[in-house]
Order: sequence, then structure tokens, then C-alpha cells
Amino acid sequence: MNKRMVSRILKIVRYAVIILILCVFLFPVYWITITAFKPMSEWNTWPPHFWPFHPTLANFAVKGILPFLRNSLVVSSAVAFISAAISLMAAYAISRYKIGGTGLAGWFISMRMLPPITIAIPLYVIYVKIHLLNTWLGLILVYLIPTVAFGIWVMISFLNEIPKELDEAAYVDGATRLQTFRHVIFPLSLSGVAAVVVLSFVQTWSAFLLATVLTSDSAAQTLPVYLGRFVTGYNIEWGPLAAAGLITMLPPIAIGLIFQRYLIRGLTFGAVKG
Amino acid sequence: MEESTIALENKNKPVKNSVRAHDRRIAILFILPAVILFLVMAIYPFIYMIYTSFTNLNLSMSGTGQFIGLSNYFEIFHDPLALGSIWFSAMVLLIAVPIEMVIGIMFGLLIRGIKGERVFRLLFLISMMIPGIVFGISAQMIFNYLFGSANYFLSLFGISEIAWFGHAATAQFVILFLDVIQWTPFIFLITYAGLLSVPQDLIDAAKVDGASRWQLFANVEFPTLKSFIYIALIIRLIDALKIFGKIYMTTWGGPGMATSSWSFYIYKVGVSYGWDIGYASALALILLIASAVLVNLLIKVLNLGETLELRKEG
Repeated sequence: MNKRMVSRILKIVRYAVIILILCVFLFPVYWITITAFKPMSEWNTWPPHFWPFHPTLANFAVKGILPFLRNSLVVSSAVAFISAAISLMAAYAISRYKIGGTGLAGWFISMRMLPPITIAIPLYVIYVKIHLLNTWLGLILVYLIPTVAFGIWVMISFLNEIPKELDEAAYVDGATRLQTFRHVIFPLSLSGVAAVVVLSFVQTWSAFLLATVLTSDSAAQTLPVYLGRFVTGYNIEWGPLAAAGLITMLPPIAIGLIFQRYLIRGLTFGAVKG
Repeated sequence: MEESTIALENKNKPVKNSVRAHDRRIAILFILPAVILFLVMAIYPFIYMIYTSFTNLNLSMSGTGQFIGLSNYFEIFHDPLALGSIWFSAMVLLIAVPIEMVIGIMFGLLIRGIKGERVFRLLFLISMMIPGIVFGISAQMIFNYLFGSANYFLSLFGISEIAWFGHAATAQFVILFLDVIQWTPFIFLITYAGLLSVPQDLIDAAKVDGASRWQLFANVEFPTLKSFIYIALIIRLIDALKIFGKIYMTTWGGPGMATSSWSFYIYKVGVSYGWDIGYASALALILLIASAVLVNLLIKVLNLGETLELRKEG
């Protein structure tokens, strides 16, 4: 066997391993997707159907999903915009004035990494007392914690890329700091703001634990909580459940893939630029 | 904090002092909303939780909330369910995370520089974008005893069907498997970014010198990759302590308590059936401290002053 043959075989093996890994890792997504299009007669079969032989859209008329979809949209959108505003301001202070130094920055990191259950327990008791349980406002407030902490990192790396000479030039021209922020920094950071808005949106959209602890019915429960309730009970309707799952996972997949770069920055606190 | 104020004061000429003071006021104004948010929504609840961890507060019983000292903390050591849950969380850290590290790094090396790299990369990242709860649904179907495709694949090899959620070991396997599927792409995302940052001329030089693939990895790629691997590992360890949704969706901690994680047990004690806030607070506080230790390590590794250009230059 000559050298060229060996390298060819190695190449084939390499592709085979990659495809095998991808098949395993994408199988759960694949299964949700095809089940969403299977009619009832294909949900439980032996051998299992690896393709919907009689595809249907009927599953997507999921009974009673609308209030939960509405709650998810309202809470996630509110969190997205408020957290973009708060994190842009905080990032501006950190990027331009170095306020708080590494101590404050470290504190913000720890806010991002908190196990949600540790905040859920005391907040549950507090929310009972101040009647925020099962409300949009209660959910919005708590989901601002991880999204603002995350947004600050994305924004800092954005603002650091805007040349400081621009600030100085505006300042020399007689603009106040606030005017500089409004007319120079803000327009230039819009793509960063957009990234924080959509990434905060999907984070809140996908979040489960706090929503399940702090809400109790369709007045405020979000889609993932709705999915969680679906599985309890014996006769699970796999088709509609998978369809609801598909609706829940599509926005995060689409947005996550489009905004990969900023996702990396936020996830690694600016340490990796991506 | 102190460091930066000193730096500011040293640099200022007296004339500029009022300008600097004004700047500082603006900076404080801008950072205030974030600080207030964290103080009100996180720090205050934590202080409250420290307090409740010393009481017997139980939301399902009136007249509770008395101070009982350290009893809740002692109870943890006598509660096999708590210790079991901490143990299962440790299993996720010790078994799932290392597997995620190996496959994540390996996948980056496998696809680096071959045809279709971008497509493979995109496809591999999909599963980290999916809410954990949706993974749970999928697992319910795939590992179903009667109709699941997992048992179907096994049957092709002549292995009889397994009641995945019925035995401790197989249920634990399912949860660890789901964790690997969901989070390996995260490790890949970070370490692959590291791989891309290896200077191309170094790689070319090594190739000219006739380095083997392994030598190239060990001597050229790995030194750059090291810090990326470390960051990915620590973030992953912190996040692994949070595992909850997949358990909630599939095993509900069972059979028995075999797949109950630390977070999940706190949920059961404090919210799902106990409303035993005092005991849940004590458990949560210890979890919080465990993550805080890891977060501190992360902050050291990140070297914030450099990565965020936090220190004043010059």
C-alpha cells in the first residue's frame, strides 16, 4: 500500500467519524422534528418510523398553547429590551470610565453564573409576600439577572472596539458626555444592542427553572413550563408535544446560529472573541 | 475599586479635577441600574436566604419560621437523599464533563481544514441552542421501553429491550448522555475558536519541519489551546451544577433518587412537595458556595484586567 492510499483511507475514516458523531448528536433534534409531522397512527410503532410516512400538520394545532406562547413572547421581549438598555449603559461606564475595576466586573460574572435554584428558593417566599407570584413582572425582573450580566460582556467587547478618539473628538467639539453617548456611541453600538436583544430573548425563551417555580397557571407560565406539564400523565400525545417542542426550539436555534460570534463573547466573558 | 480611583487621582492635573469628578458622576449614573438590579433581585434574596436557612420556615405549616440555629445544616449530613443528590451532581461533573471535553476538542481537530468544515460546525452547534426541556421530550420518546428507537437499535444487535428509566444505572446513563449531547458543542465552540487563533505560519512552519499530526497538536496547537480549554472547563463545571430541566422532564429524579441532582433535590424539598424553605435554603446556600468557589477560579483564569481592557492604559 502506498502513501497516497493510506492518506485516502485516513480521509475517509475522518469523514466517517465526523458523520457518525453528527448523527448521534443530532438524533434528538431529528426525532422531535419528524414526530411533529407524524399522524397519531405513527407515534407508537414497532419498529419505530424513522420518517413520517403520512406527514401531517395537524399536530401544530396544539390545544391551549396560545396563552403560553403569548406569555413567552411578552416576557422574553420585555427582558430583551430592558436588559439591552441596562447592559449598554453599564458597559459604557465600564468600557469608557473603567468604573469599579476588576472587582465590579467579577461581581457581574458571578451574577451570570448563579445556579437558578439558589435564587428561586428565597424569591419564591418573597414573591408570595409581595404578590409577584405568577405575574409577568415577577418573571421579567428575575430573568433580567442573567441576561443583563451576559449583555454587559457582549456590550463591553463592542464598545472597546469603537475608537476612543471619536469620544474625544466630540468632546473637543463641545459635546457633553451625555450628548457624546447619544450621538456617537449609541449609533455605533447598535449592532451590539441588536445582538444583546436577540440573545437575551432566546435565553429567556428557553429558561425553565425559575419560570416553573415562580408561576402556577396560564396567566404567566411560559412555553417550556407548558411542555413540562405535558409530559405528566399516561396518555402522552407525542405529536402535539413534539410540535410544541419544535415551536419552542426553533427561535433559539435560528438566532443562536446567526449570532454565534456574540454568543461566544458573552459566554466566555470577552475572553474569546470568536 | 480602590486601584482605579488611585489611578485616576494620580493621573489628574489639578485643572482637570472638576471634569474628572463630573465623568465619575456620569459613570456612576450609567452603572446604577445594573447595580440596583443585582442588589435587589439577587443580593437581597441571598441575604434573606441566609436568614431562612437558620429557621424552620415551612410554607405549608403556619406558625413556623422560628430560629433553629444550625439544625438545617446538620440535617444535610443525616439525610441520605441530600447526600445522594450531591453525589449524582458529582457524577455529572466527573463523568459527563470529561467526556464532553474530549469529544468537543476532538471534533474541532477533526473538522479543522477539511472540505465542509463550515457546514459540520453549524450542524454540531445546533444541540447547544436547544432548551434542555425539549431534550427531555426527545429522550422520553427515544428511550421509551416499548416503542423507543434506542431499544430498536439494540434489537438490531440482538440485545433485548431495556427499561431505561426503570433501573438506577440506565436512568443515570440517559441523563449523562443527554448532558453530553447538549453541552459537548459548547466545549467545541470555545476550543474551536482557540484552534482558529493558532497562527497559521506556526502551523506551516511545523509542517515544513515534517511534524506529525500528533506533534503538531502537542507542540503548536495545544499551547495556544490550553487557556481556552481551561476556561471552557470551568464554565462547564459551574453550569453542570445547575442540571435540572432534563431530569424534571424525564426521570423526575428516579428511580428512587438515582438521578436526583443537587438542584433538583432543592426544588423538591422547597417547592414541589415540601415547602420546607428552611432546609431548602441551607441546601441552596451550600450549592451557592460551591459555585462561588468555581466562579472565583474562573474570574482568576479570565484575567479580566487584560481581556476587557479594564486597567487604564499608560
